[in-house]
Amino acid sequence: MSGRPHAYACKPDHCITCGDDAVAMTVVRIDGARGLALCEDPDGARATVETALVDPLRAGDSVLVHAAVAIAVLEPHAWEAT
Amino acid sequence: MRFVDEFRDAELGRAVSGQILSLVEPGHHYKIMEVCGGHTHSIYKYGVDDLLPANVELVHGPGCPVCVIPMGRVDDGIALAELPGVIFTCFGDMMRVPGSHGTLLEAKAAGADVRMVYSPLDALRIAKQNPDREVVFFAIGFETTAPSTALTLMRARAEGVRNFSCMCSHVTIVPPLRALLESPDLRLDGFIGPGHVSTVVGARPFEFIPASYGKPVVIAGFEPLDILQAIAMILGQLAEGRCEVENQYKRVVPYEGNLRALEALEEVFELRPHFEWRGLGFISHSGLRLSDAYADLDAERRFSVPGVRVADPKACQCGEVLKGVIKPWECKVFGTACTPERPIGTCMVSSEGACAAYYNLGRFAREREVV
Repeated sequence: MSGRPHAYACKPDHCITCGDDAVAMTVVRIDGARGLALCEDPDGARATVETALVDPLRAGDSVLVHAAVAIAVLEPHAWEAT
Repeated sequence: MRFVDEFRDAELGRAVSGQILSLVEPGHHYKIMEVCGGHTHSIYKYGVDDLLPANVELVHGPGCPVCVIPMGRVDDGIALAELPGVIFTCFGDMMRVPGSHGTLLEAKAAGADVRMVYSPLDALRIAKQNPDREVVFFAIGFETTAPSTALTLMRARAEGVRNFSCMCSHVTIVPPLRALLESPDLRLDGFIGPGHVSTVVGARPFEFIPASYGKPVVIAGFEPLDILQAIAMILGQLAEGRCEVENQYKRVVPYEGNLRALEALEEVFELRPHFEWRGLGFISHSGLRLSDAYADLDAERRFSVPGVRVADPKACQCGEVLKGVIKPWECKVFGTACTPERPIGTCMVSSEGACAAYYNLGRFAREREVV
């Protein structure tokens, strides 16, 4: 792969794939036919994400992404539950 | 940044730290294990342990996917990578894990076609771009990562990609926890449960810990305040004489987990009778392999894999570190013969490994400074 690292990629000090970590991304566009979504991380880096485990999604939803797969949908006010 | 800034607030951190101080009994020494390597990394990155009273000790668990891969498994991977025509793909940290004759990175330097990927889906893409080559993905990780591999294999099947296969070294988190709880040389007061594994499996699989072993479990997120709050919740349970599974990470973790992910795991994988863990030995029903329905995509059945068993280097004490019996700096080779640049043991390879976290983030000290 080339270009800017994706949000879910390994960083110099931390490999989020190996570390069982995941990153919150916002859904920008959905390709329902292929089960994919274009997502954006908080720094604006975009990546194609597999959505089969969390469908249906809408643009603007926040999802938790691990190894290019969305594993959970984050509720808009979910932090209040903590 | 939403979902992040709220959980790094210094003022709130001090408040939770004060709450923790009010919950501990002065004469008691508390040992709390963070199961997940991601937690270990966050604790040392943000100095969470500096906000704890001296009698609350954090013990680092076996939840770093790279750290638990035995040397023989790396040798098997290298053997596959060296086969003519094979493109061998794996996650970045896995390339630096030493086998008995070097690493995958060194195999790459010697001419093998080893490529780092960020996702198994990238490996599948490489297979589609190279139809005349065999592409093998070395799958590692706990239940957080296993669904990605499952979806990739389902996609490979649906798209008829025949030159793709998977060498599955996925593991599950519950069996090593049970093995640790059965270990006579470890006394723990509670567990910080793995946040993202629980996103997939839910909270229910951890109920045996309070039920059978009488230890509280609090599933936690990865920001510093998440971890501090989880410690406060564990200490709160102990102070009130309660013992249960609590979910600090409700903004992400549903109690039932992700049912669709669990269905995908069920379809693609089955439990191995035994799997060898670095430092922990063989643990029953702790590793995954491809189910018979996906046998044609199983690299271990498509190719001849040596299946070597290699004893850990004698000087290396990764096993004791993974069980939380010793601190990284108590290992004889920590920071001398074993460094992140030239790791002997797996715990020094990944930054989620306890040894690398201590080394990179300056925890060489034998005595922790007290707040």
